[in-house]
Amino acid sequence: MDACVAVEKEVDKVLCKFTAFQDRSSLLIRGLYSDLENIKKQIDESEASDDCFTLRDSINLLQNQILARTKEIITNLSTEHRDLHSSVSKVGKAIDKNFTADFACVSHENFFDEGKQDMINEVICRHYLREGCLNVAETLIKDTGIDMPEDAKVPFLELNCILTSLKVHDLEPALEWAKKNREKLRAQKSSLEFKLHRLAYITLISEGQHRIKEAIEYARRHLTGFVHQHEKAIQTLLGCLLYVRSGLENSPYADLLSSCQWIEICEVFTRDACALLGLSVESPLAVCINAGCTALPVLLNIKQVMQQQQVHNMWNSKEELPIEIDLGQNYRYHSIFACPILRQQSTESNPPMRLICGHIISRDALNKLTTGNKYVL
Amino acid sequence: MKFSENISVFNLVFFINLYLFAYNKIKASEISSIEHPTLKVPYEVLNKRFRLAQKSIDRELCHVTNAVSELEKVLISDTKDKNQITSLIGGVMEKLNSFKRKAEDVTQEEIECGRVIKRRVEHLKEHDSTSPAVICQWRKLRLDRLLMEYVLRAGYYNTASELIKGSPIKDLTNLDIFLVANDVEISLKNKDTSKCLAWCHDNKSKLRKHARKHFTGQDQAQMQAVQQCMALLAFPVNTDVSPYKELFSESRWDGLVTQFREENLNLFQISTPSAFSVALQAGLSALKTPHCYRGPLNHNPDCPVCQKNLNELASSLPYAHCSQSRLVCHISGEQLNEHNQPLMLPNGYVYGQKALEQMASENDGFVLCPRSHQTFTLVEAEKY
Repeated sequence: MDACVAVEKEVDKVLCKFTAFQDRSSLLIRGLYSDLENIKKQIDESEASDDCFTLRDSINLLQNQILARTKEIITNLSTEHRDLHSSVSKVGKAIDKNFTADFACVSHENFFDEGKQDMINEVICRHYLREGCLNVAETLIKDTGIDMPEDAKVPFLELNCILTSLKVHDLEPALEWAKKNREKLRAQKSSLEFKLHRLAYITLISEGQHRIKEAIEYARRHLTGFVHQHEKAIQTLLGCLLYVRSGLENSPYADLLSSCQWIEICEVFTRDACALLGLSVESPLAVCINAGCTALPVLLNIKQVMQQQQVHNMWNSKEELPIEIDLGQNYRYHSIFACPILRQQSTESNPPMRLICGHIISRDALNKLTTGNKYVL
Repeated sequence: MKFSENISVFNLVFFINLYLFAYNKIKASEISSIEHPTLKVPYEVLNKRFRLAQKSIDRELCHVTNAVSELEKVLISDTKDKNQITSLIGGVMEKLNSFKRKAEDVTQEEIECGRVIKRRVEHLKEHDSTSPAVICQWRKLRLDRLLMEYVLRAGYYNTASELIKGSPIKDLTNLDIFLVANDVEISLKNKDTSKCLAWCHDNKSKLRKHARKHFTGQDQAQMQAVQQCMALLAFPVNTDVSPYKELFSESRWDGLVTQFREENLNLFQISTPSAFSVALQAGLSALKTPHCYRGPLNHNPDCPVCQKNLNELASSLPYAHCSQSRLVCHISGEQLNEHNQPLMLPNGYVYGQKALEQMASENDGFVLCPRSHQTFTLVEAEKY
């Protein structure tokens, strides 16, 4: 924040000065222009005879003053503009002081070498397919010449379609998809299909009394299959019927009408669909970049410290980063066991061992403890 | 920021994810670590504009001074022709007007450049919002900005145009610089050096400064190059004699394009590895665990490094360093801690209490181990 504020201060100063210069130069030149105009008129209207010589003389003198002033003012304006350069370069200095110019020191220079370029382009392409920016993805495929098979695109196209219709409260495509994938959804213990039907039912009811019969028909047709798993929820839905006449908004079931339901259904759909397709819910590229931006300041800090102590370049080792980076709870995808004694990650050759008391330490720690004594404390 | 109409559908997903994940605030150090080019590049543009402005002003100054001198000469001469004087005064007035217009125009352009910097700073400041929705959108824009730069540097100009269409990042990218570059590149590929030479002329003072900095030790090499060029005149275009053959070859044009691209980046102080590359490497490393490389059984579909391409890309990078255990439930992906105790099933697999309890409640007290497909009752799970 301070970084931005510092730079903003200098930029504001520069903008102020430029505007002031602009106004001043216009004003001064307008003044000179009108002076010259007046003199020109005077000379024009004077007589060209010897009698008016004194008149002319004084005019000329005045003119010499005007001309001298003209030269002075114009030269000063040029100098004024030149002086503005120091304010301009202050902006650059503020940027260099507050922002890290050499952030690349914590990375491989040629990470994007030949072989890898295609992989990265593919990752980016998938990211944009996932984000629904299909034309960007298509153009990228054309520009880079990468191979993106149709069947990689198809799931995203379908999901995109369904989410578009859910956005306009059209449940049909979603229902169809859920029906098509009923078995797999059931294997995942997903309640998507039920929730879709529930939303359709509520929509019918909320339209008023004239739709009650339709709603009941709908419930009979579609909700009966779910009675086993969602008995309580179905009871609630049927209870709603009592309040239709007086308006559902005033009933204890009012929250069923809220727009959060639609947001929730999009979320449930995305989550279940992604799980079904084996995709992650969030774009891997986005997660990675966010993690990277969080990690970068930590790495830059440590790089500075390491350089001061002349330790080897950490980026070339295949081992671990020298420092822990806390990315927050959401970026933890794997269980990691670190021995509480030795503070090292467990590996294939150094697995965690469970003691009888229930505590877990690494094998290395266990060995260390037992070399001294016969018993483990 | 308006969220009503123009969100693309998957943006909605992002919005929704707010309910799934409470996004952490963005620290100020994140901004200062990676956003240097965001501000430095428009600053260099401003610098360039300033130099051009000063030149224009000095040129007009010259014109005015000359006109004034002419008039002065007549005034001190013996013959004072009224009409001549008035016409010369008219000349001075005209030049004054021209100066005024020019000064106004160039200063306006400088102000516009300054405003670009200001707009970008204001955008950067928005990272500090209290609303998670705004932070989420800011992160998304940041990714778009990084990708835009990557795409422009790689020369995928069509993709860049498409990207800009859907996104409010237009002001925040250096598209103009790269469009000019694209023009020059296309002309070079068509074996036309005129645009490139014009570009060199446009930027000659900066290029000269760079040349002085980098090429002082290379006069010898240049001498050789000049000699080769002279000798070229003696050979016909389709000669087979090397090294003259290489000087005429197609690849020279490609070489020129590459060299031009590099010089262009240097000129605007756009650093060599792109910010995208740096962020990607840092992210892959910070997320990388040995589990990602222990075979598909250990893969978590949500983990980016377990994805095929990223997995390969990350293989040469260091692992994340962990000094504290962090256990994640295989079923729900949630953390295992005092709120979500780890429970061990009789087959040795460990899952989170919450996930097991939920599964049991939906299945009459039975739980299904997803890794071994065995069923147990909840009571058989013991605290780990």
